[in-house]
Amino acid sequence: MTKDSSKNFEPNIVAFLCNWCSYAGADLAGTSRIKYPPNIKSIRVMCSGRVDVVFILESLRNGADGVLIAGCHPGDCHYQSGNYKTNRRVLLTKKLLGELGIEPDRLRFEYVSASEGQKFANVVTDFVNNLKRMGPIKLPREG
Amino acid sequence: MVKQKILEVKNSDVTGTVNDFLKNLLKSGKISALLVSQSVPSRKVVFPVLISDPDKLDAKVFAPLLPASTSKIVSKITKFQPSDKPLGVVLHPCQIRALIELVKLNQANLNNIIIIGVDCLGTFSLNTYADFPEKKNPIDFILDDFKSNSDKSEQFLRSACVVCNQPVPINADIIIGLFGMDINKEILIEAVSDSGIKILEDLKLDTFKDVKKREKYIEDLIGNRTKKLAAFIKDKTGNIDIESLTSFFDKCVNCHNCMNVCPICYCRECLFDSSVFDAEANKYVKKSESKGLFKLPNDSLLFHLGRMNHMILSCVKCGLCEQGCPMNIALMDVFIPAAENAQKEFKYQPGKNRDEKVPMVVYREDEYVEVGEK
Ligand code: SF4
Ligand code: SF4
Ligand code: FES
Repeated sequence: MTKDSSKNFEPNIVAFLCNWCSYAGADLAGTSRIKYPPNIKSIRVMCSGRVDVVFILESLRNGADGVLIAGCHPGDCHYQSGNYKTNRRVLLTKKLLGELGIEPDRLRFEYVSASEGQKFANVVTDFVNNLKRMGPIKLPREG
Repeated sequence: MVKQKILEVKNSDVTGTVNDFLKNLLKSGKISALLVSQSVPSRKVVFPVLISDPDKLDAKVFAPLLPASTSKIVSKITKFQPSDKPLGVVLHPCQIRALIELVKLNQANLNNIIIIGVDCLGTFSLNTYADFPEKKNPIDFILDDFKSNSDKSEQFLRSACVVCNQPVPINADIIIGLFGMDINKEILIEAVSDSGIKILEDLKLDTFKDVKKREKYIEDLIGNRTKKLAAFIKDKTGNIDIESLTSFFDKCVNCHNCMNVCPICYCRECLFDSSVFDAEANKYVKKSESKGLFKLPNDSLLFHLGRMNHMILSCVKCGLCEQGCPMNIALMDVFIPAAENAQKEFKYQPGKNRDEKVPMVVYREDEYVEVGEK
C-alpha cells in the first residue's frame, strides 16, 4: 500500500460490513453493476457490534486512510442492539481520535440494508471523496 | 437521628482522634475489619492494611498519599463473594467513584461494605512522600497547611489532585469531614446512608452545628478547583496533535504499568498483553517495505488509544496511571482532557450514580439514528 500525497492520492479504506445487511448490500451493488470506487477492502463481520476499537486502530496503523463500518438500520440488528452499541462506540472513538489530533471523519458508521446497493455505492463514493480531500493519514512514526 | 456529629479533637491530634473513633467501631463489632492506610515498617510511606485487631490500629487516615488503588483492593476482596461480616473501607473520594464504577462493571460487591470517605486534601506522589524535602513529615505538613489556610502543599501535590474538583466524598456511607472545620477542635462525622446511620446512631457525640460554614467552604473550594480544571484542559487540549502525540509517548517503554495500576482497567487478561498483534516475519518485512521504515516495538499508540477507548468513560481522574509510570510521562495531560470531553459528550459522570449503567452497555432506540445518515 503505497501512499501518494499528490492529486492522484487513492485512499485505502477498510470496510467492516455486517453479514446480514451491508455485506449483502455491497453484493447487490456488485451484481446490479452499480459503479463505486475500488478503494475499499471489505471484511465481513457477523454484526456491526463485533467491531471493537482495536479493529479500527489496527486498520489505521496498518495503512488504512479511513475505516467504514456498516450495519443494519436501527431496529433491524439480528442481535437486537449491536448496531446501537456500535453507534455509541463509534461516537466515542471519533471523539478520542479528534482529541489526539487524528481527523474523526476518517471513521464512518452507516446503516446499509441488504436491499440498498445504491446507498452502499453512494456511501463509498462519498467517503472516498472526503478522504481524498483529507489526504493520506498522518500517524506517529511508529505507524 | 442526627446525621452530622462532631468528634472532639484532643491536643490537636487529628489522626489520633479519628483512630479512637475507628478503634471503637472495631471493638464494638460494628465492623469486623477495616481497610485503611497505615505506615509500613520503615515508616517511609503508608500502604493499605486490612486490620481486625483494634490494638494494632495505628491508621494514617490523613496521609497525603494514594500508593495503590484502594478501590481495586476492595474489588479483589469482594469480587468472588461478598463479605459475610461488615467490612469498613476508608477511601479517598476518587477511589469511591472508581469503586462505584467497578460495581457497575460487576467487579466488586458492596454487600456488607461500609464505605468511609475522607475529605481529601490531595496526595503527593509516592516518591515525593517517601523523600519529603520539608522538615515536617508529610501528614503534619498538609494538615498544618490546611489549618493555616495556606497553599504551600500545592507544589507537592500530584497533578491530578491540583485540578481535582471532587474532593468531597460522594456515595460514602460515612464521611470524615475536614472542610470548613476548625480541626484543632473538631472533626465532622456524617452518616450518609442507612448503614452509616446504623453505625453512628448510638455513639454519644455532639451534633454538628456550623453546617453553613462547611457548605460555604466546600462551594468555594469546588468553584476554585473547577476553574483550575478548566484552565488545565484548555491549556493541554490545544497542545496535543498528532505530531506532539508521537513525542508525548516517545519515552513509553510499553511496560503497561499505567494499565495495571488503573482502578478501571480490570480485565484479567488484557488484549494488549496478548499476542494477537504479533505477526509472521514476512508481514513485518512487507510493512517495512511499504513505509521504508517503522519503529519497534510498534504498538504503544495502539495500546494507549485502545486502552483509552475501553475505559475513558469510567476514568475517575485519580492520576494513578501517571504516578505508576516509570518514565514520568505526564499522562494526566492527555487523560484528563480526554475523560472530561468524552464524559461530557455522553452526559456521564463516573462514580456519581450507582443505578446508572455505564454508557457502552445501554442504548436508546431513538438516539443517533441520524449518525450514519447525515
Ligand atoms: S486512567 Fe489513570 S486517571 Fe483514569 S482511572 Fe485509570 S489510573 Fe485513574
Ligand atoms: S506506564 Fe508509562 S512507560 Fe509504561 S506503558 Fe504506561 S505510559 Fe508507557
Ligand atoms: S446484525 Fe447487522 S448490525 Fe447487528
